[in-house]
Amino acid sequence: MPSLPLIERRSFLRACGLVGAVYAVEGVAGGLNRLPAAVRLTRPDPDDPPPYPNETVKRIMTERFQDRPIRHGHVVLDMAEMQEDGRYVPVTIESDLPMTSGDYVKGVYLVVDHNPDPLVVAVHLTPALGPVALETRIKLKRTTWIRAIAETSGGDLWADYLKVETTLNGCG
Amino acid sequence: MLQTGKTKIVLPERIQRDDVIRVQVVIQHPMDTGFFRDANANIIPPWFIREVQVQYGGAEIARFEWTSGISRDPMFTFRLRADREGALTVTSRDNRDNEFSGSAEIAFTTT
Repeated sequence: MPSLPLIERRSFLRACGLVGAVYAVEGVAGGLNRLPAAVRLTRPDPDDPPPYPNETVKRIMTERFQDRPIRHGHVVLDMAEMQEDGRYVPVTIESDLPMTSGDYVKGVYLVVDHNPDPLVVAVHLTPALGPVALETRIKLKRTTWIRAIAETSGGDLWADYLKVETTLNGCG
Repeated sequence: MLQTGKTKIVLPERIQRDDVIRVQVVIQHPMDTGFFRDANANIIPPWFIREVQVQYGGAEIARFEWTSGISRDPMFTFRLRADREGALTVTSRDNRDNEFSGSAEIAFTTT
């Protein structure tokens, strides 16, 4: 095995270290400005416009709500934004809307934009129930926007949106 | 033991009149989407619950429209205003027209 002169090895390592240090400094300084969106942004701002629906979601919206305006608020879609397993994704939908015989939530809809069948659950409620607090487990195909929409007996629509990341396809 | 369609309703231990109680329902069902294949590359045909009805003392209080986007062995919960004693019945129907049902009695604790 040929032995290299010591001085050559030392200067080589020094050069390597210098290059590495330059990359490290640049990486830290430049990297902060381009963190992935998932790290920078946890919950969308309430004033943010809702995610743009794709064709299927738009069709479902027209079918169910006849293009009435959907406002952000009164509904909370509670779930972890990182899901390891797309087969079992726990979802909680809560609302502070009243549940009296004259004014109640008559429907709750859960729409997963990028699932093969986006309208995952449609729930029809009556005032016999308590305040809206529904839990269930759903499947996710891939990283997607999820919409929870509540329809009151007066016809008002309230919604909450959340982007959820998943890696394991639960839909096939 | 696995038994398709077995419906279990979980109620709180103590219920008093006009309590808002959490009702949990678990139904055993494969909820196959029709997109997966088995070990021999044969498509597993879709088989999922389409509709769930909840009745309280004979009156319908909630109806769920489901698709195959619900996880295997579906679980759901809701809040119920316990204003009368009676049976809480959950009836579900799948895309092969099987009907499953389970029932639990809502009775107020006397003390």
